[in-house]
Amino acid sequence: MRKLVIVLLSAICLVLLGFTLSSFIQVFHYNLSAPADVGSTNKSGYRLILITQEMDTPFWDKVEYGAAKAAGKYGAELEVWGSYGTNQEDFLKYMEIAIASKVDGILVQGLNTDEFNKLATVKAAGNGIPIFTIANDVPIADSLRRTYIGSDHYKAGQMIGEQLAEDLGHKGKVVLMISDHQEDFQSKRLDGILQILKFYPDIEPITVVAGDTREKVVAATNEIMNKEPKVAAFVSVTANNASAMVQEIGKRAQLSRFHIYSFDDSPEIKTLLKEKKMSGIIEQSPEMMGELGVQLMVQWLQGETFPLKYEGYFTDIRLLKADELP
Amino acid sequence: MNTVQKKILSLTAIVLFIMVATWFILTYYNQKMQDQYNDILQRYLQMNEVSASSQQLVTSLNNYIQTPTSSKLSNAESDRQRLLDAQLQIADLRNNSNHFTLTNYLNLIDSLVDSTNRSIRFLGEKNNEEALNDFTEATRLSKYISEMTLTLLGTELQTYDQFYRGMIMQSVELKKLGVWMLALFTFLLLLFTYWFSLSITRPIQRLTQAARELSRGRFDTHIEIYANDEISFLAKTFDRMRININNLISEIQTKAQLESELQKNKLLLQESQLRSLQSQINPHFLFNTLDTLSKKAYLEGAVETSDLLTSVARLLRYNLKRLDRPVTLYEEVRVLREYIFIQKTRFTERLRFEEEVDEACLYVQIPSLTIQPIIENAVIHAIEPLEEGGTITFRVRDGGSEIIIEIEDEGSGISEEKILHIMEDRFAIQEGDGHSTGIGFGNVINRLRLYYGREDIMAIQSVVGKGTKVILKLPKEREAGVNHV
Repeated sequence: MRKLVIVLLSAICLVLLGFTLSSFIQVFHYNLSAPADVGSTNKSGYRLILITQEMDTPFWDKVEYGAAKAAGKYGAELEVWGSYGTNQEDFLKYMEIAIASKVDGILVQGLNTDEFNKLATVKAAGNGIPIFTIANDVPIADSLRRTYIGSDHYKAGQMIGEQLAEDLGHKGKVVLMISDHQEDFQSKRLDGILQILKFYPDIEPITVVAGDTREKVVAATNEIMNKEPKVAAFVSVTANNASAMVQEIGKRAQLSRFHIYSFDDSPEIKTLLKEKKMSGIIEQSPEMMGELGVQLMVQWLQGETFPLKYEGYFTDIRLLKADELP
Repeated sequence: MNTVQKKILSLTAIVLFIMVATWFILTYYNQKMQDQYNDILQRYLQMNEVSASSQQLVTSLNNYIQTPTSSKLSNAESDRQRLLDAQLQIADLRNNSNHFTLTNYLNLIDSLVDSTNRSIRFLGEKNNEEALNDFTEATRLSKYISEMTLTLLGTELQTYDQFYRGMIMQSVELKKLGVWMLALFTFLLLLFTYWFSLSITRPIQRLTQAARELSRGRFDTHIEIYANDEISFLAKTFDRMRININNLISEIQTKAQLESELQKNKLLLQESQLRSLQSQINPHFLFNTLDTLSKKAYLEGAVETSDLLTSVARLLRYNLKRLDRPVTLYEEVRVLREYIFIQKTRFTERLRFEEEVDEACLYVQIPSLTIQPIIENAVIHAIEPLEEGGTITFRVRDGGSEIIIEIEDEGSGISEEKILHIMEDRFAIQEGDGHSTGIGFGNVINRLRLYYGREDIMAIQSVVGKGTKVILKLPKEREAGVNHV
């Protein structure tokens, strides 16, 4: 009896002790050191900002990825800001904040508007902040941008033109769908296509200007198809319009009757190509753009690459045909 | 020595120590958490301060542009200073995750201050359009600052998310710890107190038990209490008291026994007196007659007869004396000689008596009629039955602290068994068969033992067929014993 009581008491004692100890350990386990105390790592790298109008699209994700990779490599700090769905107001606000924040360099998707050019010339240049355009360029004269990193859109237009001529057999009507938003890259692409098509007098290019909303693109497509029933090929010079255009064509006729071309800087393009709804696209190298952009920026800031090529640094482009896909 | 008071004090000290320690630990942790909470609140307040002061700056700048007075200007300037102070403080909030944003933030504040400054300057130069332009920019920047404050707060929350959760968990754990600690200490203290109180009360209980036994008259149980405080001292004292009482009781018992022995002895003496009285119906008449006979014999020329009669008379007179009075050894020896003289007349050549007496030893006191019965015993057993008679040797010598008296005969001896019987059978009344005084051997032994208070007063050495030797060892100084035997 006595033994039992002793065993029982010591068991209770042990249990209580165990719980107390575990609780004690738990309390001391939370070694709370505020992250603030960790600070003062003093990253002395350059503060770079990448600003885009099209956040979270596959194209810009790749640009971001490449830029981040290069930033890590060169010890620069990179932050990506941007608006969704080409919201220009937000985009310009980010530009202004970036300039007011006195970052060391801005990589920006070019936007050919007065506000953009004003910000780039007056504010950025006034504060001595270099601006590189990336993927989309703006005219050098208006913007005072230091350089451009991205595809050679003129050459891309030429590639489309050549392919077009080949596919059409040197004759037929081609609709060149452009946006009413006169972006630099768009005009360059158009110039490239038209430059090639000049050599083929039997090919008749028809330039259609559509708005940048889906409805406007659909309306424009309808209109041109009504007006010109014998169109053999479509080129969506602005990739963002391609999906609406293809959808509308598909509604009215067999898609396979047409040769449809575009560029790859829109989220839906790759899918359309895979579904063989398009004949071919120009594939760019977004990752390369990001990487090269950051690299050039850092090198320029360090004074290694001087002077910069004003016309820009071109990244690879290639034609991707639907027939060649597996 | 641990005292009960010391024990209680130490218990209190332990309890106090545990309480204080617990209090300190819990308070320390609470304080630490409080500090952390304060730090966090401080961060948020500082961020908010930037946002608020930038808006305030824009407002006061607007006021100044509306009505350009110097008081408005100083207002705007004090607001600018407030913003700069806030900026200075916020610079300390830098950490890994908000590093970039914070730098932007600080630069934004700089830009705002710059625009404000430019606006004020242009206004001073009366260039109202430029001033308004810069004011608009300042307004936008202030808006951006507010937005970025939110971004920063968001980042802050994200960065500190783990930290905050940790804090919440820790406070929960701390509460749990408090409960567990309370339970553990309560339990331990209860156990300890129980054990401790037992260490005080158990000895008391045992002492009570012992006292109860004692009060029932059981003095022989040993009281032993293993404790290290006053109770143990009490128990020891109590035990000593028990032993003392026990000793006193046994002493009383011994005394009572002695008393009873004395009583018996007195009875014995009376009996021997009675016997001697019985055997001497008219001793005075007999004595007088013997005296007359002696004179008559002397007158008739029978000198030897006359001497014999004198001896008998003397022996008789000695016997008539009170037996309970001690006499000197000298008197005993004189009576012994009278007796021997009488017996020699009776046994003639058969009785040879040799005495070696150290006269210096004869002063000692001795109960009367002690040696004569022993000699008589020797005559009866060693001379009478033998035709050729025998020698009886009587020695008195100084043996240091005692006088040694030896009576030796050459008779048939006594068996070991019988010696033992004589020595052991203390109060058995032996018949004084054939003894002239009617006093037997046993009587003598007992009287001697009582008189000297010693058991080993007499020894008998005997070899069967060779003879017997009776040795008396009389101490010169009488020790304890019963007086007046």
